[in-house]
Amino acid sequence: MLQGFLLGLSTGATCLAYCAPVLFPYLLGEAKSIRQTAWTLSRFMLGRLLGYLVFAVFAWLTGNYLNTLTDRREMLIGFIYILLATLLLWYGLGQTSVPCAAGSLRGFAATLAQERPALFPLLLGLFTGLNLCPPFLLAFIAAGENSTLGHSLLFFLSFFAGTALFFLPAPLLGLGKNVSQLKNVGRLAAAVMSVYYFYSGLLLLWGGMISS
Amino acid sequence: MNAFAANREWKKALLFSLPMLLISGLLFLSGKPLTNPAKLAPAVITFLFINITFFCMIYTGQTHKYRSRFFILASLLFVVSFIANLIEVRGTMELSAANMLDGETPLCPLVIPMLIIPAALTHTIIFPGSLFAAHAGVAPMLVLWLGFSLAVGRGWCSWICFFGGMDEGFSRLCRKPKITAVDSKWTALPWAVLLGIVLTSAATLSPTYCAWLCPFKTVTEFPAIESAKTALQAVIFSSLFIGLVVVLPILTGRRTQCSLFCPFGAFQSLFNKINIFAVRINRADCVNCNLCLQKCPTFSLDEQSLQAGKTLLSCTKCGKCIDICPKKAIAFHIKGTPLHLNLQTARVLYLYPAFTFAAVIGGGCIYGGLERIFRLAVTGSMIH
Ligand code: SF4
Ligand code: SF4
Repeated sequence: MLQGFLLGLSTGATCLAYCAPVLFPYLLGEAKSIRQTAWTLSRFMLGRLLGYLVFAVFAWLTGNYLNTLTDRREMLIGFIYILLATLLLWYGLGQTSVPCAAGSLRGFAATLAQERPALFPLLLGLFTGLNLCPPFLLAFIAAGENSTLGHSLLFFLSFFAGTALFFLPAPLLGLGKNVSQLKNVGRLAAAVMSVYYFYSGLLLLWGGMISS
Repeated sequence: MNAFAANREWKKALLFSLPMLLISGLLFLSGKPLTNPAKLAPAVITFLFINITFFCMIYTGQTHKYRSRFFILASLLFVVSFIANLIEVRGTMELSAANMLDGETPLCPLVIPMLIIPAALTHTIIFPGSLFAAHAGVAPMLVLWLGFSLAVGRGWCSWICFFGGMDEGFSRLCRKPKITAVDSKWTALPWAVLLGIVLTSAATLSPTYCAWLCPFKTVTEFPAIESAKTALQAVIFSSLFIGLVVVLPILTGRRTQCSLFCPFGAFQSLFNKINIFAVRINRADCVNCNLCLQKCPTFSLDEQSLQAGKTLLSCTKCGKCIDICPKKAIAFHIKGTPLHLNLQTARVLYLYPAFTFAAVIGGGCIYGGLERIFRLAVTGSMIH
């Protein structure tokens, strides 16, 4: 559970930096008072949590499937860690754009916001929760290592709590206006964390090789 | 030219220097056996050096020039006394597992951000040092660090940090920068490293920066090379030291380890928010020559901040921009007071806490290093 929380903390800045351009213009434009902002934000966070829980179920199913594929699960996970860590490094240092699913809302956001104003932040949250950026994929694999569905859900719940720490104060503090430096921190943090996951992947591979 | 320098008010400067004379006298001349020349001579030299430096700062109105000399010398002599001390006590610079178990490691301030989450979660200090050891124990170091941070914020990085002094020393070897354009996105790296090490330290319950990334292991103590892992760590430490502390500062003229890598520096920047001292630019006097921006050792000014009349959060209050501004548009400032009022008072009020701490820590390093050098001259060996 701690792992999930810490992973959430490490990717929170990135999530915030990339989803903020989608979220904040709406939040800052719509809500007038702190109370209104907090209400919109809680619906957004609920949507995000739902997105994460959907992924927790998928992560658990994937983990189980991997178990049936091979008895060298450790080595496989180690290999995936190395692969994802490389991707994370490339994403951290390269000029890639991040597949934040909420971006696809842009097109019909205005219509939806007008016709279903109560539902809009929820959907926005759900879509930013259904994210396929490399840090998120790492969380996916890490959660898949859990043997029960309950553990996988708990992992994503704590992952959510970790990222939420970045989301909650941001709109209230007006951080949405200046996300470029935050984006740099998020990207470079991803690159730094990639080294850690690369090393963990190597250790898993090494351990798997020794025990086989 | 400021009021003190212009009017040659040396008597006034002397008066302002008296408190420092008293503090340093208590520190370096009391308690030392005055009959032992090997101890008396370094104590007297340190005492004189501290007071001459402070007097010059007050009298000439120049901060950076004198601070920098003191800072660099303290850093060099810190390495001399630290290594000599290690060899005396352990016979080597290597840190073995047994030394760690014995809690013999002095607390390095750089480890502080990594202690917070594990201390909150497990109620343990994840550092192999003793809480109340006589030499840099965890508790006294934490108190000293907190006091200084509250008093002068990130001034730590230009007045106290012996590692910063090495970075500054090498950056001052640069006469004409070979690299002038550094993408501002790299100034986010210390924050990213900070995030990374805080999280990995919490996940592994060990200070990961010390174990894997600290460039200064190269000139202090490092884990004994006993396996492929410790060999890899040694390679990382020395590459980071050569790259960030030696080569890049010489090529850029900037403190690259402090401004583009050090996670403790980023952490320390947060104290600039709550500290009452700041460096401010008076827009009315500024002619936008950009000299301060080009010369700031830590990239703490950019065009936006200059227009806003403020430095960035990372400012180490080194005083360089203040000294070099041709229009004297930059000054130390007490938050909440009018910008152009009492500039000298604000400066002197800042110099007292900043230099007192510098005298305590840096003066200790200078004394320790000099004592070893004197011993070498007299006995032919730095160690007992
Ligand atoms: S050095 Fe002085 S005059 Fe030049 S840009 Fe900086 S503040 Fe303005
Ligand atoms: S802004 Fe000025 S005082 Fe601050 S670090 Fe840069 S040169 Fe030093």
